[in-house]
Amino acid sequence: MTATTPTPADLPAQPAAHGHGHGDHTLTGFVIFLLSESVIFLALFAGYAIYKTSSPLWLPPGVEGLEVAMPLRFTVVLVSSSGVIYLAERALHRGRLGEFRAWWLLTMAMGTVFLVGQGLEWAGLPFGLGDGVYGASFYLLTGFHGLHVLTGVLLMGLMLARSFRPGNYDAGSVGVTAVSLFWHFVDVIWVVLFVLIYVWQR
Amino acid sequence: MTSTAPAPAPSFDPRVLKAPHPVPGAPNNWRRFLSFNTDAKVIGLQYMITSLFFLLVGGLLSMIMRGELITPAADLVDPTVYNGLYTMHGTVMLFLFLFPILNGFNNLLIPPMIGAPDMAFPRLNAAAFWMVPVFGVILMASFLVPGGPSGAGWWAYPPQSIQNPLGHFLNGQFLWILAVALSGISSIMGAVNFITTIIRMRAPGMGWFRMPIFCWTAVAAQAIQLIGLPVLTAGAVLLLFDLSFGTSFYRPEGGGDPMLYQHFFWFYSHPAVYVMVLPVFGIFSELFPVYARKPLFGYHVVAIASFAITFLSLIVWVHHMFYSGTPQWMRNLFMVTTMLIAVPTGIKVFAWIGTLWGGKLRLTTAMLFCLGGVFNFIFAGITGIMLATVPVDIHVGNTYFVVGHFHTVIFSTITYGVFAGIYHWFPKFTGRMMYEGLGKLHFVLTFIGSQLTFLPMHAAGLLGMPRRVASYDPEFAFANVLASLGAFLLGVATIPFLLNLVSSWVRGEKAPPNPWHAIGLEWLLPSPPPAENFEDDVPTVISGPYGYGLGRPLVEDEQRYVAKAASAASAATGGA
Amino acid sequence: MTTASPSPGRSPRLWGVLLVLLAVLADLAASFWMAAASHHWLPVPASAAAAPVDNLFALEVGIGSFIFFGCSGVMLWTLLFNRAPKYDLDNGDPIEGNLKLEIVWTLIPLVIVMLIAWKAIDVSTTLSTLGGKVRVTGGHGAMHGAEGPAAALEAADDPAAAEPIEVIGRQWSWEFIYPNGVHSSELHLPEGQRSYLRLSATDVIHGFFVPAFRLKQDLIPGSVIDYSLIPTRAGRYRLRDSMFSGGYFSSNQTDVVVEPPEQYAAWLEQALAQPLRPAANAATDLYAQRLARGDRGWATVPPAPPPLVHVSADPAASHEG
Repeated sequence: MTATTPTPADLPAQPAAHGHGHGDHTLTGFVIFLLSESVIFLALFAGYAIYKTSSPLWLPPGVEGLEVAMPLRFTVVLVSSSGVIYLAERALHRGRLGEFRAWWLLTMAMGTVFLVGQGLEWAGLPFGLGDGVYGASFYLLTGFHGLHVLTGVLLMGLMLARSFRPGNYDAGSVGVTAVSLFWHFVDVIWVVLFVLIYVWQR
Repeated sequence: MTSTAPAPAPSFDPRVLKAPHPVPGAPNNWRRFLSFNTDAKVIGLQYMITSLFFLLVGGLLSMIMRGELITPAADLVDPTVYNGLYTMHGTVMLFLFLFPILNGFNNLLIPPMIGAPDMAFPRLNAAAFWMVPVFGVILMASFLVPGGPSGAGWWAYPPQSIQNPLGHFLNGQFLWILAVALSGISSIMGAVNFITTIIRMRAPGMGWFRMPIFCWTAVAAQAIQLIGLPVLTAGAVLLLFDLSFGTSFYRPEGGGDPMLYQHFFWFYSHPAVYVMVLPVFGIFSELFPVYARKPLFGYHVVAIASFAITFLSLIVWVHHMFYSGTPQWMRNLFMVTTMLIAVPTGIKVFAWIGTLWGGKLRLTTAMLFCLGGVFNFIFAGITGIMLATVPVDIHVGNTYFVVGHFHTVIFSTITYGVFAGIYHWFPKFTGRMMYEGLGKLHFVLTFIGSQLTFLPMHAAGLLGMPRRVASYDPEFAFANVLASLGAFLLGVATIPFLLNLVSSWVRGEKAPPNPWHAIGLEWLLPSPPPAENFEDDVPTVISGPYGYGLGRPLVEDEQRYVAKAASAASAATGGA
Repeated sequence: MTTASPSPGRSPRLWGVLLVLLAVLADLAASFWMAAASHHWLPVPASAAAAPVDNLFALEVGIGSFIFFGCSGVMLWTLLFNRAPKYDLDNGDPIEGNLKLEIVWTLIPLVIVMLIAWKAIDVSTTLSTLGGKVRVTGGHGAMHGAEGPAAALEAADDPAAAEPIEVIGRQWSWEFIYPNGVHSSELHLPEGQRSYLRLSATDVIHGFFVPAFRLKQDLIPGSVIDYSLIPTRAGRYRLRDSMFSGGYFSSNQTDVVVEPPEQYAAWLEQALAQPLRPAANAATDLYAQRLARGDRGWATVPPAPPPLVHVSADPAASHEG
């Protein structure tokens, strides 16, 4: 659901509590926030590219590079979850609450799978956070992104819980739209990150 | 009230916001300033009071520093203590005085100026404010940790800032990064709120080019926050990891590069000066028309110049690194972009002077601070061009010339603008007039004090006195004695100011709705305005701002709003 | 200001034009005077960079003064002659702008700053003090950078160049190592020749700043930076650390001694005959005093041990700039 400015006619019906009537502002504000948030990643990406091209010490001794096959599978899971969350949103639009919850839960599951995959990868790596600027950059970038995935999953959990509240969507579903936007954002960031860290190794 | 003129931007329906007050039953006395109040006007005053407190803290630190520097040797305090003092002075003044006080102005002014009842996100707004005391306490707490506060300067350049001499996890530098990070989060929350409010909640008829310049500069400044702050945050996160978790982002031993921090830091911290100066340009642009009784000269160009400054400010940061081994082509490129900023800022200065020309000047305290601020700013702009010039910067960079230039901007322009704004809008938001006599005394002492403090610094810098020193060669003694005396005079100047603030607020003369005969939506409200400003009676704007002498009404049915504000005022007087 | 009409007296236009002309002339005279005076605000000029930098600065002072006096003069005029009487609530002339004027005051500053930028690029190009920069690992880059790309860069810069003098910055001391193996804690340079320096720092960033030379360059840990300059005046000048480097930053200064080439060569010979001993160092002394007083004050790393040198800086010697 995109921002629909409430017409004066449906205003009196609006529940005034909790500021739900501010839906149109919420999305504007959230998009502005996401634009700002993307600049953090932009800065970190630029820093990574500068280190990779200029540092006299890059891969720690004994480290050949990163394995790509497994992370690629988890990437596919994460990126396709963007499609699933779209299905969830569409279901909600059409008023099919049960279907919405199913797709929504699937998205959460896919995000969790991604996080578990990343945890497994971290556990098996031969270098740590303290191993030069390479180790530091790798863990910081993937960790900071992982934190965003976790935030996304938690927010989705919150939205799921709220969906059981009667009349929750009477005033619109801005929260769901915002979380879904956030999820797409997290996915796009990952694609760039994947290219930077896993594809651009030579 | 039927709208006859086609409204260019019917961007919001007031009834959307007719929701009950977010915190029903909030106290309506001084205790509201200690509560999680979501009314932008209360939050604005909370910001103001908090930041004025920290102005005193930062000022006190600078007094000790100037006491140390009144003699060449480091005899008053240990050099390490001096380093901590100057670090905290800069950090407090920027993050706890200027940013919060300008957010105070944003909170007080933006909603009434655009006819909105409140900010778009009142609770976010309150949360953003309450982070200020939190990180203020964190920063002050760093005085108490073993080893003292950060002594790395407000730039916190690594590797010096990550040396952590005592090896404790909880050290002054750690708390400093934490405080700056929280300040950044608070600023981002504020920026989202201010921009959303201005985009979506303008009164009917208020198109972009009918908006007061203060709102233009607010958007321009907050846009810098949104683009720049994340970069500083990224740099600060890496710094924190290097300091506390042993990574090597900025340690050459592990392949890191201390120069990357400088890029991250200045990408935000140069534009940060524009975050502070743009709203002050806005204040100047609001006040000159009022006290010169003329429309703002070249309103459209002045409005657009704000965004030219925003854009250019984001592509000049390397001018802080001309002597850091930056290649020649890059130095030349950034010199040119830096100098280009002179064009939009020049436009504004000339527009203010054009506004004064042929006006009917009224030298109130607010006007005096505006005139003084612009006078100082022209000087600072010229020394700014010198600093942008690569060969000259290579000589004067990192000397007291920069300290003089920077303080002429930060204090003698921005803080003057802040004072002007306080004297101008104090009656509106407290309902009391300030004493003009004390105000003028404050201005005279401040003006003399700031010239005496900051002019000699330029001279010392030209002769080669490095900034940030706790001791110096005897040839710089004369300039430093003058600067110290000036600084103490500035300290004295705050006494009439504080006296004025407190006594006016407590027992000042009751303020009419429009004591300065100014044009603007905020002056159509009673003083102080009711909680939701115009409530559901938002005026329809029918002309641009600053229509002095043009005989055109600002809003439809203007006389009705004037009468309404006047009757509210007399009712309040009768009740009290 | 074309709309100027100061008083409605006889032929106001003529008087107005005359007045403006007079004001511009006075402004010009004052600006020329400021530009000439600006040379006295700077230390003695002791390197080839000084004259062009000082002239550029004087040009900026001149242009800046013209603008500053012009703008503040107009402001003063309005203050004197455009004041409203006490109870006059009238408005001023309702002028909302003047497109021509606005275009003029956009273009003129643009032309002026571009002119200054062009002059500045010209000066930087003729000075060409900054050589190559090479990233190395480890805190003390100088040892690694001697061969390899840095040497190649220097050779490309000037094939006839002598080997550079190593300049090492520490918390808080300076060390200079000459091609013949002399170590010193004050920098000796021959007058009238291009001297090549190789800058490195062992701990934090420092700044090599000689005000009399009008030159400044940071020393960056993990990098080796080639630098060159031409001292042009014999004498003793201050070398100051210009980049904040922690605890005893302000004590991190020494002298540069510029002397005629023969004298410089003789000094190098004599110096080599001296025994190596720890250099006199202000930071070490101050830190010892602090420890003696019970280590009060805020945290600082201890100073690095003073370098072992043949010739130590003389703290009592007086410097010129």
